[in-house]
Amino acid sequence: MWKATIKGLLAHKLRLALTGLAIVLGVTFVSGTLVLTDTLKNTFNTLFGQVYQNIDFEVRATAAFSQGGQAVRKPIPQSIAATVASVPGVQYVSGVVEGYAQLVSPQGKAIGSGGAPNIGLSFDPNPQLSALRLVAGTGPTTPNEVVIDQGTADKYGFSLGERIRILLSGPPKVFTITGIAKFGTANNLAGATIAAFDLPTAQQLFSEVGRLDAIEVLAKPGVDKAQLQHAIATVLPAGVQVVTGQTVANEQSNAINQALSFFSTALLVFAFISLFVGAFTIFNTFSILVGQRTRELALLRILGANRRQIFRSVLVEATILGLVASLVGLGLGVLTAIGLEALLKGFGITLPTGPLVFESSTVVAALVVGVGVTVVSAISPARRAVRIPPIAAMADYRGSEEESSRRRIIVGCVLGLAGVVALAVGLGKPAIQLVGVGAVAIFIAVGMLAPLVARPMSSVIGRPLANSVAGKLGRENSMRSPRRTAQTASALMVGLALVSTMAVFGASLSKSATSSVDEAVDADYIVTTSGLAGFSTSVAATAAAVAGVTAVSSVYGGEFEFEKSVTSLTGVSPAEVGQTVILRVASGTGSAALASGELLVDTTTANSDHLRVGSLVPVTFAETGRQTMRIGGIYKPNALLGSYAVGDGFFRAHFNDPLPLAVLIRTSAAASAAGEAAIVAALHAYPNLTIQTQAQFEKSQQKSVDTLLGLVYVLLALAILIALIGIVNTLMLSVFERTHEIGLLRAVGMRRRQVRAMIRSEAVILSVFGAVIGIVVGTGLGVAFSDSLSNQGITDIVVPYSSLVVFVVIAALLGLAAATWPARRAAKLDVLAAIAAE
Amino acid sequence: MMVTGEAQPGAPAPLAPPAARAVDLVKTYGKGDAAVRALDGVNVEFERARFTAVMGPSGSGKSTLMHCMAGLDAPTSGRSFVGDVEIGTLDDSGLTRMRRDRIGFVFQSFNLVPTLTAAENIELPADLAGQKVDPSWFDFLVDQLAIRDRLSHRPNELSGGQQQRVACARALIGRPDLIFADEPTGNLDSNSSAEMLTFMKRSVTDFGQSIVMVTHDPRGAAFADRVVFLADGKVVGELIAPTADSVLEQMKQLSA
Repeated sequence: MWKATIKGLLAHKLRLALTGLAIVLGVTFVSGTLVLTDTLKNTFNTLFGQVYQNIDFEVRATAAFSQGGQAVRKPIPQSIAATVASVPGVQYVSGVVEGYAQLVSPQGKAIGSGGAPNIGLSFDPNPQLSALRLVAGTGPTTPNEVVIDQGTADKYGFSLGERIRILLSGPPKVFTITGIAKFGTANNLAGATIAAFDLPTAQQLFSEVGRLDAIEVLAKPGVDKAQLQHAIATVLPAGVQVVTGQTVANEQSNAINQALSFFSTALLVFAFISLFVGAFTIFNTFSILVGQRTRELALLRILGANRRQIFRSVLVEATILGLVASLVGLGLGVLTAIGLEALLKGFGITLPTGPLVFESSTVVAALVVGVGVTVVSAISPARRAVRIPPIAAMADYRGSEEESSRRRIIVGCVLGLAGVVALAVGLGKPAIQLVGVGAVAIFIAVGMLAPLVARPMSSVIGRPLANSVAGKLGRENSMRSPRRTAQTASALMVGLALVSTMAVFGASLSKSATSSVDEAVDADYIVTTSGLAGFSTSVAATAAAVAGVTAVSSVYGGEFEFEKSVTSLTGVSPAEVGQTVILRVASGTGSAALASGELLVDTTTANSDHLRVGSLVPVTFAETGRQTMRIGGIYKPNALLGSYAVGDGFFRAHFNDPLPLAVLIRTSAAASAAGEAAIVAALHAYPNLTIQTQAQFEKSQQKSVDTLLGLVYVLLALAILIALIGIVNTLMLSVFERTHEIGLLRAVGMRRRQVRAMIRSEAVILSVFGAVIGIVVGTGLGVAFSDSLSNQGITDIVVPYSSLVVFVVIAALLGLAAATWPARRAAKLDVLAAIAAE
Repeated sequence: MMVTGEAQPGAPAPLAPPAARAVDLVKTYGKGDAAVRALDGVNVEFERARFTAVMGPSGSGKSTLMHCMAGLDAPTSGRSFVGDVEIGTLDDSGLTRMRRDRIGFVFQSFNLVPTLTAAENIELPADLAGQKVDPSWFDFLVDQLAIRDRLSHRPNELSGGQQQRVACARALIGRPDLIFADEPTGNLDSNSSAEMLTFMKRSVTDFGQSIVMVTHDPRGAAFADRVVFLADGKVVGELIAPTADSVLEQMKQLSA
């Protein structure tokens, strides 16, 4: 039996390769992602291990609360450093402060790539303690000196002794470069720029005079570390802790690992989408193969193969296919990881170099996923193979499909309903896994039910092609086996459904972004920066001094703990809020409450948390600890303010040196080019700023949505490619199956060109059929998805009809492309041999 | 003189039951007005170590009879036996085991597995049963059928006659109780047909094989020990030790 299976496989290497390709691509994606993230994790772990390897202890404030795995701490008094230094067994202590310092390139551009932070640090000359290792020059000793990271120095050609402008939380300043340093062994920390100052300068620049973010401690050689840690702990005041250097290294790598996990999860989602589409392709191929081998399988049954042997022979074929494809995918995955790493470097994300990490878990994951998907997809065809009666080997046997088709409709309907319910519950909760399960169920159900409409839809889609004989025959072919047409199209259906879901979601997001800005902000100009850190607090004052500017409001953002959950808080200027922000107060007061240090919440939060004006609520700030706030007003939802807002004075008092995320500017005249030019000129010293009119700001918001959407489309393109491979595969099998028929057509006078046109017509009908169903399903999913996010700011639901039409056209063109090879093969058939074939 | 039909009451019990028999076998296809009665109460016995031919015009039900008696198709009513086993009592795996261990098949269209060599095709039933073939029996059959030099070839590299001889070896390799041959010479030229039929007859006389052959060729039927005639789903006559002429004569009477 195995002999028959394996020989059968080997006899159809091309078929094997085409079918396996779907799995190869999916597994490549999975293993590439895993290898890349494992490599990055390992590199960062090693790096942090090196950086902290000599540090015995770190003294720091206990975490007020933690947010996304990153603890939020306030600075500690500098006097603690002397206390710790006096503990017997301590050899050396070093105070550390950290803050915002963004370097400006010699060309006057603000340096910063993507979202990588611009880190400002204090520099300690003790080479054992500092994360920074000088590779040239000396450490900073005066308030005008700075050490920068080697990555930035290399990229922008900075050399020792050169002057460099640095953007700070206060006004920008110019420093002299005295040294260039590595971060551990890396040129910099994954693209983050570093500027290091001597401790007093850093304390002054980061508004931490007399305070430290942490104290690094070096023990004397031979001292018992556990005892020393205990001794240090006893001299520390409440709210300050001492931890080992290893703990800090672990925390740092965990934080990075968490960020990387997010990245790898996002990539894996797309990898699984590709595999899911691949599963449809494999299911379809195996169904066709079982159909084509009906007589052979029935013969085996006659000769004494039992049902289990038949079932196993199909599954063994799938297993071998899955195994080979997974191994190939695994190899390609490693190459992809190397390629991706190079690509990231090309984008200027300098990663610390480390060896490629190839974990055994990657091999296991790739094999389990690849073989698993293939085998699971082949189960249903294998069951169909089992149901073939032995008598089907007889030449005159004709089977009926009615019974299984009724069962399929019932199962499809039940599954579809279950999927819709799971999706609805998942979106309502929200539980993203349930949404995924629901979507998968809906796709499978649509795949099962699609044969019902395949014949009439193929007929309608193919009508424009039916003018020529070739087009007519292609249309007939697509109508003759509705089940196969539907199964072949369903892979493309899934791909296009996801693309349309994203199109609807993206269009809604884009529209909502515009209208939410319109409904939240009423400014002539909006000043923002590309990074997440914000920009100098002096910007607002500088802008306010420009002639014609009537109101300037800085917008701050930070995290605080409200009723036991960490959430975002916005700070705005009470005096100017009325002129720059559309604050619709539902109850209580707006500006007055902000000015008197009260909390404002939006109506959604007020309703869900049962808050009223005058309610007293406990809140916690990292800097100032627990306190009780009075709700001073309740406002209608506002995209700028979010759910919680306070006055900027209050905000600055409760956050350590906060930076504004945006500045809203109102002028006496309406927005104009001249007005904009005046503001741009005034803010010339801040090259990190983007100054836009409200309309420009909205356009750039839309653009960033489009960019994100473009990225998602690229990631989904692989799924579409796999679906197309499925179409190529089916057409090849159909051509093979109809060899005799095609030969007959050729014999009675059909030209090669017409044969090719016939196959191409069938392919176009198949693809358009899949695309139309996919777009209908995807639009529904997109609307449901967008609707469920109405609380998250998606207020407008937009169906981008023109994009959807373009998708159909693209699908038709892709179908044409997929038909090229099968059509050529069909046209090349030797007429005589084809007629002789049975 | 052969005794056919039901065993006579009071007669000494035969040493073994017939190779196969059918009792009141009825098979209808379709429903209502469109119903076709392919078998209309067939009673027949096929003796051991005999070569029996089943003849009849197209649509007489001869193929249906074979399918029902070989367990490939389920009769609408009636019973059929292979040896002393009633086929109707077997479930799918029982039927599978019976086909594998006790019945051999030869088909008009050869039905070899195209990806396997001749030798592998011959060994396939044993392979499916997880058993080894008897090497001396394999060698004997291969020599008798003159296919030794074709063993490593695939079916598409063999002539029709060679393919059918491979199929014949496949049917015989497990020493089945009974071989059902469905128009085995239908796709062969007259020389190959004669060779095939001669071999089948020899397997009956030389090593006691039981064979039932469905055919519409009177010359083929003449190789059999006995011919059973079928028309409209009923047994309408039989000939012992037939000749081509006597078979032809009987056929003429049937169609008259």
